[in-house]
Amino acid sequence: MRWDFATVIEHADVLAIGAVGTLRIFAICLVLGLGLGLPVGLGRYARNPWLRAPATAFVEFFRNTPVLVQIIWFFFALPILLPFQIGPLTAAVLGISLNSAAFSAEIYRGGIQSIERGQWDGARALGMSWLQAMRRVILPQAIKRMLPALANRAIEIFKMSTLASAVAYVELLQQGKLIASLYYNPIEVYTAVAAIFSVILWPLVQLSYWLERRLKGGE
Amino acid sequence: MYRWDFAPVAAHLDLLAIGLFNTLRLTGAALAFGVALGLGLALMRLSRRPWAAWPAGLVIEVFRTTPPLVQLFWFYFAAPLVVGVEMTPYLAALVTFSIQSAAFFAEVFRAGIESIERGQWDAARALGMNRGQALRRIVLPQAVKRMIPAFMERAIELMKTTTLVATISYADLLFAANEVSQKTFRPLETYTAVALAYFTVIYGASLLARRIELRLARSGEGTVG
Repeated sequence: MRWDFATVIEHADVLAIGAVGTLRIFAICLVLGLGLGLPVGLGRYARNPWLRAPATAFVEFFRNTPVLVQIIWFFFALPILLPFQIGPLTAAVLGISLNSAAFSAEIYRGGIQSIERGQWDGARALGMSWLQAMRRVILPQAIKRMLPALANRAIEIFKMSTLASAVAYVELLQQGKLIASLYYNPIEVYTAVAAIFSVILWPLVQLSYWLERRLKGGE
Repeated sequence: MYRWDFAPVAAHLDLLAIGLFNTLRLTGAALAFGVALGLGLALMRLSRRPWAAWPAGLVIEVFRTTPPLVQLFWFYFAAPLVVGVEMTPYLAALVTFSIQSAAFFAEVFRAGIESIERGQWDAARALGMNRGQALRRIVLPQAVKRMIPAFMERAIELMKTTTLVATISYADLLFAANEVSQKTFRPLETYTAVALAYFTVIYGASLLARRIELRLARSGEGTVG
């Protein structure tokens, strides 16, 4: 068995297009997933049952079903109910973002609940509204404690982005499949793809370790 | 307005049941291998000998920093050419998910073992036990109890990850759903039913995990991971 990366390097441009696709879907899902998680997390924490029940149902459903099933559902099942088609990117973004929102909602909830009651009372005593207290006093403190968990979520979102290839979205793994099927060089292609993912993720993983260590040292 | 009709899906319930069985079988097997392999990796990583600690660290980092789907493709399409053996989808999935969960379990084991106070080791050594005996008789039994919640969470994650095998045509529940939806031309009902089936099984497992965790917390055992 001889390894020969020549054809992979020759088609580096194909992989580069895939890498752009991977980074694009990662960026969209990161913003939507972590962004949507905050209102859902606040809803889970609300005293009003009309807010709390749907938020809880959303979190439980998306946490307890596989992401791939969600993506496939959005791609093959949902368009039947809609008057328009859903593209691979939209389906994958819906699946990954909603799934990540459910997971990050729990991170936000935990982070906010970890802030002592006195901080709330203090803020309210200064005449702040609930929203002001949340924005100015609670969230800035809570975010610091949530950072390691949120960094881990970002890593998971990056890894999940490969699932978009199941609905033929053009990302790194999908492009790798294309090259492997044209040149019969799966060993080199999939090794290269794995290495590219590792190289992109490595700094992110180190960052999460560093955040975790800093949190342990600071608390 | 679309009219929902689950009857065609219900007619293929046997296919879906086999799919669910295959999903559970793969999860169970990968879990068993993953725990055993994970303990081995953790002990290697905790070892003072660099030739044992270093490769274990590498395996753990590589499997934690690459997407599971890429690993699965590597073991299914690339590994057979490297090793020269025929790979079935089941075997490829079993190898991938065993090593992948081993990498995560290794970190759980390590955190668990490290959470046991130094004094426990010292006392075991003072009683004349060697490192292996102290680990087996004193440290692991205490550590495992603290690791149970992290284990259960990982097992649930693993079950969700097994859906990836549908992409290499192993007949798990998701793959069975693809088949049924093509046969019946009812993707909406099929995928909805299958999503609910996954939810029921995984949510049930989550509830069970929460109950056990609560009981452990009440019995005064700290948790790690």
